Amino acid sequence: MFLVRPADTPDIPALETLAATATPGVHTLARTRKSIEKAVERSNASFASRPRTPSDETYQFVLEAPDGSLAGTASVLATAGAAGNFFAFRNDVLNQVSRDLDISHSVHALTLCSDLSSHSQLSGFYLRNRSGAGAEAALLSRARLLFAAAAPQRFADKFFASMSGVTDAGGRSPFWEALGRKFFRMDFLEAERIIEGARNRTLIVELMPHYPVYVPLLPQEAQAAMGQVHADSELPFRILTEEGFAPDEYIDIFDGAPVLRAHKHALRSFSASVACSATAGEPHAQTALCLVATLREERFRVALCRCGLHESSERAALPSEAMRRLDTAEGDSVLCVTL
Amino acid sequence: MLVVRAIREHDLEGLLALAMQVGPGMTTLKPDRKTLGRRVEIACASFAGQIAPEQRDYVFVMEDTDANRLVGVCAIKAAVGLDEPFYNYRIGTLVHSSSELGVFSRMETLYLSNDLTGCAELCSLFLHPDYRSGSNGRLLSKSRFLFIAQFPHLFPEKLIAEMRGFQRADGSSPFWDSLGRHFFRMDFSRADDLTSLGQKSFIAELMPRHPLYVAYLPAEAQEVIGLTHVDTAPARRLLEQEGMHYEGYVDIFDAGPVLQARVIELRALRDSELAAVDADDVPESADDEPFLLSTTSMADFRVAAARVRPEEGRIGLSEACRRGLAVGQGDVVRTMALNPKKVSHA
Repeated sequence: MFLVRPADTPDIPALETLAATATPGVHTLARTRKSIEKAVERSNASFASRPRTPSDETYQFVLEAPDGSLAGTASVLATAGAAGNFFAFRNDVLNQVSRDLDISHSVHALTLCSDLSSHSQLSGFYLRNRSGAGAEAALLSRARLLFAAAAPQRFADKFFASMSGVTDAGGRSPFWEALGRKFFRMDFLEAERIIEGARNRTLIVELMPHYPVYVPLLPQEAQAAMGQVHADSELPFRILTEEGFAPDEYIDIFDGAPVLRAHKHALRSFSASVACSATAGEPHAQTALCLVATLREERFRVALCRCGLHESSERAALPSEAMRRLDTAEGDSVLCVTL
Repeated sequence: MLVVRAIREHDLEGLLALAMQVGPGMTTLKPDRKTLGRRVEIACASFAGQIAPEQRDYVFVMEDTDANRLVGVCAIKAAVGLDEPFYNYRIGTLVHSSSELGVFSRMETLYLSNDLTGCAELCSLFLHPDYRSGSNGRLLSKSRFLFIAQFPHLFPEKLIAEMRGFQRADGSSPFWDSLGRHFFRMDFSRADDLTSLGQKSFIAELMPRHPLYVAYLPAEAQEVIGLTHVDTAPARRLLEQEGMHYEGYVDIFDAGPVLQARVIELRALRDSELAAVDADDVPESADDEPFLLSTTSMADFRVAAARVRPEEGRIGLSEACRRGLAVGQGDVVRTMALNPKKVSHA
């Protein structure tokens, strides 16, 4: 049975091994021993804190495979802009109307903005075996949102997640070529490496255009890349759109990838989850696969299992293995949502 | 003899005939009787001093007095942009620099501006193809500087001239195709026509209001910013000889350069001199430099060119020349060598 739980200090060597297998395209993942240690330490402090409103907490989770090995990690930041404004391009529509000439059309313009700074941000999603991944991918991704549903005061009302944008086999991004390169004067991957995938650094303000970028002025290839996701991001894109996220007017400032955004009420983990009391039982094979999260802030756990939800929705029958792995006793509160 | 003089009401027919020759691309000289008639009216009122200095539009015609025919036209608008906004792009610089990354990007930008509002403008220069020889073009273009030198108090601080921008052989503009077309959804010539007809509100409505980074434009469009149309290059050189120069303002449609100068720094204001006329029928000597000679009367302003030599405030003019300028013995004329003494780029 797959389980998601907060990352902890003993996970550090495994996280290091995991990071070593990541492709260069994943930039929000801590890679060095030192940065992994720092991230885990920070996460531990965040889980231990008792904030009344979201602040600079970062929560890191790990996915434990049935054999006990570490199969993936994912994080969520309480406030995207806590360490500096989070920058994105807002794709505005400007209406061009001339009554004299009977002309009316619209032009898109990209404006560098920090609108997303106060949102909570999903980040650092990484699976060991992405191509062969099954339901555990959704477990890992959505566990973050179930934690937010269990502890809403720790998070903002709005969430977003950046995807990776299209690049060719050589790592060249058409959107970057048309835009970022003019200002950064370097290759896309080099810039991402230097900036460590961050979108909240001062140098973005220093280098990126302050005035709107009129989309029709960009080459076709760059326009076509706007809002498109890299093959690597198709899995998280699918999981998050099924969860209730939608691409809207924000795109990534480097590669033009969509930023998925949602109000928490639009998310299934919030709106379709039910709180019940756990009870031991062996649900038959026809019952739905569910994500079952503990409704406590310490030792938070989410498991993927068959879950017998009663009509009254007050009790959830869980397999004994799930009860054990969730560290839940009979009558404890759990949060269930169908996969 | 060719004489450039202030336009008169009876010149309308001749002006129309000339405008028929102009062809597309020159928006202020469309062969439209009503528009040209109105322009002649305003010009006559301008020379007569009947309208306020900033509303004036001084139109000059070049007449072949032997053939009794109008062969050229040119004008000075006393001020632009006072009735309707006058738009240009100013080429600016923005530096994007990060010491952390060691990146220093110096970016050229285009700012939509009305900075040239209130400047006087040289415009509407056209010489009949049959007369494009010798120094005729220079006489026609430069006659305007003598007018300004004679009446500097009627002009604002700055003088400008818009040069036609670069076009491909088929008349299309790479700059327009890369920029304006996206916002206006029409051909360059149609947009140009609309502006000349005074329908300029659409510029404010449709043009991008924010500064543009030049680097976003395709290379072909970047390269033509500030480039003059090949046919206009000689006209540009003449104006540069008179002290006008490009200072980073360009047309918003075709990116043609705007030449500009402070009026007091024009060669005509520094170098032209007054001289009293002597009746002198000595034939012109090829040894003498060609000079521009103008009258000092606004109502009957006239300019001609002759190979003469002003000396100690006096100048000997032939009978034909005196008749052309309508001056007699003892009248005062303004004189200036047609060509600058040292051509800076020679």
